[in-house]
Amino acid sequence: MSVLDCKALTKRYGRVTALDEISFSAEPGRIIGLLGPNGSGKTTLIKLANGLLTPDSGVLSICGAAPGPATRALVSYLPERTAIPTWMSAAQLMDFYGDFYQDFRRQTAEEMLAHLGISPKQRIKQMSKGTREKVQLIMVMSRAAKLYLLDEPIGGVDPATRDYILSTIIGNYSPDAAVILSTHLIADVEQVLDDVIFINQGRLVLQSTVDNIREEQHKSVDALFREVFKC
Amino acid sequence: MQWQFSNDAPIYTQLIQHIKIGIVTGVFPPGERLPSVRDLATEAGVNPNTMQRALAELERDGLVFSQRTAGRFVTEDHTMIQTAKRGLAQRHIKTFLEAMLQLGFQREEILALLEQELGEEGRGRVGA
Amino acid sequence: MLRKLMKHEFRATGRVMLPMYLVLLVTAVGSNLADRSILDSRYEVLNVLGMLVITAFGFSICGVLLISFVLMIQRFYKNLLQDEGYLMFTLPVNVHQHIWAKLIVSSVWFTVTVLAVILSGLVVVYDMGFLRELFDFLGYFFQGLQKLKISEALNGTVYLAEFAVLIFLSLNAFSLQFYAALATGHSFANHKMLLSVVFFFGFQFAIQFLGSTLFITLDHLDLIPYFRWDLTPQAAIHLGLLLAIGGVILYGMIFYAITTFFLKKRLNLE
Repeated sequence: MSVLDCKALTKRYGRVTALDEISFSAEPGRIIGLLGPNGSGKTTLIKLANGLLTPDSGVLSICGAAPGPATRALVSYLPERTAIPTWMSAAQLMDFYGDFYQDFRRQTAEEMLAHLGISPKQRIKQMSKGTREKVQLIMVMSRAAKLYLLDEPIGGVDPATRDYILSTIIGNYSPDAAVILSTHLIADVEQVLDDVIFINQGRLVLQSTVDNIREEQHKSVDALFREVFKC
Repeated sequence: MQWQFSNDAPIYTQLIQHIKIGIVTGVFPPGERLPSVRDLATEAGVNPNTMQRALAELERDGLVFSQRTAGRFVTEDHTMIQTAKRGLAQRHIKTFLEAMLQLGFQREEILALLEQELGEEGRGRVGA
Repeated sequence: MLRKLMKHEFRATGRVMLPMYLVLLVTAVGSNLADRSILDSRYEVLNVLGMLVITAFGFSICGVLLISFVLMIQRFYKNLLQDEGYLMFTLPVNVHQHIWAKLIVSSVWFTVTVLAVILSGLVVVYDMGFLRELFDFLGYFFQGLQKLKISEALNGTVYLAEFAVLIFLSLNAFSLQFYAALATGHSFANHKMLLSVVFFFGFQFAIQFLGSTLFITLDHLDLIPYFRWDLTPQAAIHLGLLLAIGGVILYGMIFYAITTFFLKKRLNLE
């Protein structure tokens, strides 16, 4: 069964159509890049899958169920902005995740924090912006979820952090889970992806595997992206 | 071992080349166990499925073999490793020759240039 | 899940409220001491110090009242409608549980605040004489109760209880009015806070308008002759209080429904 399934998904903000009849599905064990320029509808799609927005028409299901409290237990979401409460300490944040998510692996999280030299007593407030983002990623990736939705995980971070984030995603790979990561920085993530979905102005432009694109077109996904979205 | 990827070929074929070079140069010695797919993927910074595919191809060629529970191992067959080494060399020579022919060099000129270069390199080494 | 939400809500708010209560208690004890000795001291410095402590006590009463109120709004706004909303609304929890967690925790703090202010007041005026007076008063009170008929004593207690319930429910309904205004205002793409304020006063106006229309209509209908209940004055007071309680519950339910609708269907986090 698909982990995520969208059929003719449409979302409008007033008169602006943010997503226009998008259909695709995500299978377990795949790392999928949701690629498109800024404002193409990537974040809207991820918010719909989280139930943070309700679609105007079309159907979206996660492991066969409509988004709701039950599906949220299966989805691990990294928002575009830092959403973890800054007054908490790292330990309190782990309490929080452990209380609400049964699939949270506290030991994994503790190891990853220790690896970065972050003490559990340290407050989020006292951390740099980059460290906060890493802590949030650690919480998200320490869950054994069925679907990871990572919204712009590498936007606006330095190259070393970017490498850390990507290797964390690879290191937590599970054949039972699908990972969807949205970005416009394709060259950086290309080698991590199985599949790519190009969206532009709310429409699905192309869906393929990275290997197929390189084999058939003899060019990188990044090069193809630049061609497709040429201004 | 540095993992870098060019833009014109599928990543798994580039991974195959990398691992072959590793085997030929002894980074992965004959009969030794290879790191797990996950570790190799993390080290190379690539998708684990892609790494899996590359290893499967190497297995089909016989350069690595898997033992059901213990993991994947490098072949102990030295002839096979030599053949792989030769194969890699031929690829390099082929691209070199293509480039030289494109520059307009003839067979004899290429040979002469090569000999001169190799000679200089040899003397340079002795001198040092 | 509601219990877990409340646990973390208490963690988030307790770190603000508990130190405030501590400050209140310390300044109350200080004022008590100041009142007893320092103010009458011959040294002017001590007099000034005593005055300062008593002023600080006054400020901490205002502070604790203000902060428990501001915290009620701020937790809803910051935890659910700002960046933290991305975390909260993707928990395996439904919207009702979110609202109840916020409502219950803030009403617990309201109650504790009221009790803390009363307690600190007692602390300030406390001395041996006061304690004796208090016991004397209680003695008279119970003697008085004994003289009363049982029905009168009971009525008095129930009035007090009904009044306390009314105040408690009003505070919650008032909180829900804030929640509804914030949830509505933040469903728009722009000017979220400005619109929230506008909606708050809009709701206020609508409720007052509906309320007065209702009263005027009832008055015009002139229903009194239809009621031949022959209420005793006591029963009339009970009826009035219970009607008020019913009204407040209805008021709260309307805003609960509005809040739920906007958080469920029109959530629009920045």
